[in-house]
This record gives sequence, C-alpha cells and structure tokens, in this order.
Amino acid sequence: MLEILDLAKRYGPVVALDGTTFTARPGRIVGFLGPNGAGKTTTMRCVFGLARPDRGEVRWKGAVVDRDARLRFGYMPEQRGLYPRMRVAEQLSYFAQQHGMPATVANAAAMRWLERMGLDDRAKSKLEELSHGNQQRVQLATALVHDPELLILDEPFSGLDPIGIATMTDVVRERSAAGVGVVFSSHQLDLVEDVCEDVVIIAHGRIVAAGGIDELRAASGRQHLEVEVVGSAGAWLDGDGELIVLERAGDRVKLLVDRSADLDALLARARQAGEVRTFAYQPPKLSELFMEAVAPVAAEEPTR
Amino acid sequence: MSRWRSIWLVARREVLERGRSRGFILSVAFTTIIVVGSFVLPALLFGEDAATKVGVVEPVPAALPVAIATTAGQFDRAVEISTYPDVAAADAALGAGAVGVVVAMPADLSGPGEVRFDKQTDQATAQIISAAIIAVRVQAVLGASDVDRDALAAAQQPPLVGAREPQTEDEEARFFVANIGAVLILVGIFSFGFTVLTGVVEEKQSRVVEVVLSTVRARDLLMGKVLGIGVLGVVQLVVFVAAALAAALATDRLTLPSTTPGAVALLGLWFVLGYLLYSTALGFLGALASRMEEASNASTPVTMVAMASYFVAIFAVVDDPSGTVATIATFLPPSAPFVVPLRAAFDAIPAWQIGLSVLVTLAGIWVLFIIGARVYAGAVLQVVGRMKLRDAWRSAGE
Repeated sequence: MLEILDLAKRYGPVVALDGTTFTARPGRIVGFLGPNGAGKTTTMRCVFGLARPDRGEVRWKGAVVDRDARLRFGYMPEQRGLYPRMRVAEQLSYFAQQHGMPATVANAAAMRWLERMGLDDRAKSKLEELSHGNQQRVQLATALVHDPELLILDEPFSGLDPIGIATMTDVVRERSAAGVGVVFSSHQLDLVEDVCEDVVIIAHGRIVAAGGIDELRAASGRQHLEVEVVGSAGAWLDGDGELIVLERAGDRVKLLVDRSADLDALLARARQAGEVRTFAYQPPKLSELFMEAVAPVAAEEPTR
Repeated sequence: MSRWRSIWLVARREVLERGRSRGFILSVAFTTIIVVGSFVLPALLFGEDAATKVGVVEPVPAALPVAIATTAGQFDRAVEISTYPDVAAADAALGAGAVGVVVAMPADLSGPGEVRFDKQTDQATAQIISAAIIAVRVQAVLGASDVDRDALAAAQQPPLVGAREPQTEDEEARFFVANIGAVLILVGIFSFGFTVLTGVVEEKQSRVVEVVLSTVRARDLLMGKVLGIGVLGVVQLVVFVAAALAAALATDRLTLPSTTPGAVALLGLWFVLGYLLYSTALGFLGALASRMEEASNASTPVTMVAMASYFVAIFAVVDDPSGTVATIATFLPPSAPFVVPLRAAFDAIPAWQIGLSVLVTLAGIWVLFIIGARVYAGAVLQVVGRMKLRDAWRSAGE
C-alpha cells in the first residue's frame, strides 16, 4: 500500500502541497484528480524523490520510501521524454537494468513490451524516428518494463489517439488485475470514471475528496434532481435565487439540491406550473462530483 | 541495487551511445588525420620542393656551386647559393636565417672544409653538400695527369659538419612534447568537458532526466556521465598520441626525447585529472541552463579559467619553469593539469611537487564534485529558464 502522509511543499511564495494525504491500495486503480496547479505533479514527484517535501512522508508497505523501494515503482512523468537518439529496445533495456534487472532479463522484458505495444519491428529504430503516438507507447513501456509493483502515471492519456487510449486502459487494467497499484492523474473525467475504482481529488494542495466513486456518490452532500414539467420550458424556476440549475433542456431541468432541501415544497411548485412527468434523483457523474468538490476551494482566495 | 552498478550503467550508456555515433568516430579520425598530416605534409612539401639556401664563403672553389646544385638535383632538391666575403658574414647570415647552411672550403681544395648549420644539423642537406665537396675534390685528383692513390683517398675525406649554436635534440624535442601536451589537455577539456555539458542540457531538454532521476541519484548520474565520456576522451587521447609518435618517428622530424614514456604517462594522468575537474564543473553548470544557448553562457567562467591556466602554462611556465609563478600554479587545481606536465618536460619539477600537486588536484575534484552534485540535483529538474547557482544549491538542500 502506498501512503501519502501530510505532504507539504512550498516553492517560494507558492504553496504546492498543504497537508496532502491519501492511500493507494494494490490491485486498485486510483484516479488522481484536480485542477491545473492543484499539486498532482508535485505529489508524484515527492513519491520519486524528485521533489523534497517540506513536511510529511511517503510510505510503501509501511516503510518510508527509499531508493530500493522506488526501484519497484514505474513512473510516467507529465513531461514526456526519453533519449531521442537511443534505439528503442536498448533504451527499454537500459531503464529495466537501472531498476535492477540483470541484462539478459532486461533485454527479454524490453522485447516483450515492444511486442505488447505492437512495436517489435521498431526495436532497432531510434526513438526520434518513431511517430508521436509510438513514442508515447515506448514511454508507457518504460514505466512498465521492470515489472513494477506500483505504477504512477501523470496524465497518461494526454496526447493519445483513441487507439492509444485503448491500449493504455487495457494495460492499466491488466496490471491492476495482476495486483499492481495504479495511481494516475487525468483531466479526462469520463475516462477516469470508466477505468478507476477509487478517486482522489486535490485542490490547492489539499485532498478535498477521496474514496470509491460509488461511496463519493452516496456521500455527495447534494443530490442531482431531474424535473420535467410538460410545457413549462423551465419557466417555473425563474426568480428563484436559491436553487442551483445545472442544465436546462426544453421542459427538462437538472437541479443541484441539498440533502436537507424540502422536496415536497419543490414538487408542489412544479405541479403548479404544469404536469410533472419526471421528478427523480440521478446518480451524479464524476465530473459533477469533481466540480462539487473543487468549487468551494476554488472560490477561496488561493493566497496563503 | 548498488550505486556502483547504477553509475556503471550510466557510464556504459554514454560510451556505447556516443562511441558508436558517427560524430565521435569522425572526430577521432579527423584529429588523427590532422596530427599525422602535420608531420607528413611538411616532409612532403618543404622536404623536397622548397629550395635550400646555401651560403658559401669566399674564396669559393670554382667547381663547388655547380657540384652542390647537381648533387641536390639528383635528390630532387633545389638549392639557392649565395656567396659571403668571410666566415663572420656567413655566420651572421646563418644566425639571421638568410641561409640554412654555410659551406667554407679552401679554394685550393687542400681540405674538405666545413659545413655549418644554425642550431640543428639537417642530415639530408649535410649529406648532399658533403657529397658535392667530395665530388669536387675527387674530380680534381682524377683530372691530374697521373692519379695519386693517396691523394684520391684523402680527397674522399668528408667535411666537418656542425652547428653554430648547437642545441641538443633532447631539449628541442622536450619543448615540442611539452607544448603538444598542453594543447592536448586544453583540447581534451574543451571537447570532452563540453560533451558533458551538452549531454546534461540534452537530458534536460528532452525531459528524459525526470525518468532517469526517478531511479538514479543525481550525483550518480553526473558521475557516470563524467566517467563514461572520460573513457571516450582517453580513447581519443591514446589514438592521438600514438598517431603523433608514429608520424614523428616515421618522418624523422623529431628524435624522441629520452623521457618520452614518462612524459606520455604524466600527460595521460593530467589529462584525466584536468578532464575530471573541468567536466564536473561544466556538468553542473550545464544543469543550470535549460537550453544550449544558456549553457554556453553558464560555462563562460570555466572556459575563462581554463584559457587563463593554459596561457599561464605556455608563457610564464615555459619562460621560467622553476619560478614562483610556475610553483604557485602547480598547486592550484585549475592550472596544475597544464603546468605540471610542462614543468616535468623541462625537468624543472621535483617529484614531491608532482605528488603533492596530484593530491591537491584530487581534493579539488572531490570538493567540486560534492558541490556540483548538490547543485546538479537541485537544478536539473528545473526545466524552464536559467537557474541561479544559489537557488539550485538551496533547492537541493532543503
């Protein structure tokens, strides 16, 4: 289990992390979400010792992460990059060996992953001779080639075409099923909803929501209510400043209501406007949960 | 996994990737061709085509100028002959470089006379003139009505060959080896030190450094890089020196000084020490830059120190190899790599000074590496803009 414990990090006047805490369990895929600049990349860099937290620590299997532990992690940084003029297979083998694999095992692993990525015919090509999409595949293979027990992927889907995204999700699911812990950050919330079991949402260096997606839905302080009043065009809502309208589509409106809201009164108002065809709770989408979690923090003045 | 395996892997990657690159192979081939060429070309061009200027002292035997020209012609060499009223005038011309050789021979052919060079005897020219003198005297004997066997034998006596201000070949060769050594060290530091610099910037620019540093310690990466590129530097030095020595021997331009094996070993040692010192400095300064243009700015102080050290060596130290400046420069790590081999070539440095200088330089490399590794670690992940030394130091230390 990976434990991120109370990480704090400042870059001059900028607070990057402010007590960031969460855990990632083996065999679970964790989506690490947050607006730009929320501290996702800094957190990941702290895991790999690339950034030194001012406070807090990162633990793996109960012990503070050291270099030996990191050898069993795989990393795909947001800023992609490999040696442009190095041959693809040699490059993978080099990184596998840097993670402690003997040369022969590393060479075999490199070829296995190139096959898996459909790049076995490009083994002897230099990286810079490959297309952008194929370079991304090699980058993913670099994170995987040494059979890591934990995968940390920073924006793995950015810049991928749909085929690349499919390969990526396949591999992530497969590694997870094999017991590997996976943490990845992404802005593509539909994908995250599709792939992840758990999500962690960070804003301004603090975790604002964490847990299984279903738990978060259940725990959501507000409910998504869909109301359809025939012939109303949603006009019955006009002049109400308290209700949060998420969406209007013809007679159909989507509302965000507090759990404590008086639904009877609301229903009564809707009935006065016309025939109520729909009046139902809807499970919130991840993107809605995300906005809900991030919004109150985003409204705060970010200078501290 | 041990740190040493990690360093070894980094170094091995540098050797394999750069050693196989066309650029490296071409540069080794190119420098070798230049070294060999600088010995062989003058031998081809000047050795045969340029006219040898010969001064003869009056009174001149009538047959001598023709004999010299004819003999030289047989060896495909041209001569220009001028006459001087006496030995003093001829010697003055020799000292001023107006002529390359002076010939003084009794006009009555009673003796073989003398052949004189300025500082060093040119064997080929000496042979040609000797042959001409013998030919003139032998013809005179043969031309008489009856041939005197004793006179014929006496006529074959070669002239006295010497130099006006004799200089030992050893001295000249030493000076040559010492200068070549200083240049080689400078070139080595510049070309391979800058390979380290560009390698560091390339890793930053291609962003691969973040992947590498997720497993390799920053100081191990710097050390592996410096060592790997250093191996290539030594390979090039060995090829270079071997080519230079072979060419020097083959073209007879230089008789190697008696101290050559020692001088070459010392040169190799100081090449390595100088490279380690300067490439470590260049490596961590390179980490402060995020683009090549910034890298050359960041490296300016190092370049200037290297150039200053080189000039101290070739001017101050050559001028007075045992003087105060030379002695001080021996114990400063930046200048020691240039100064010590030069002083040793002049036999002007006691063994204890060499030993102490090596220790001081090693200590300097170690200190620089400790500082450099920390700055490198702090700066190498900063990918935008040029970083200040102080910020990098702090960022790694927090």
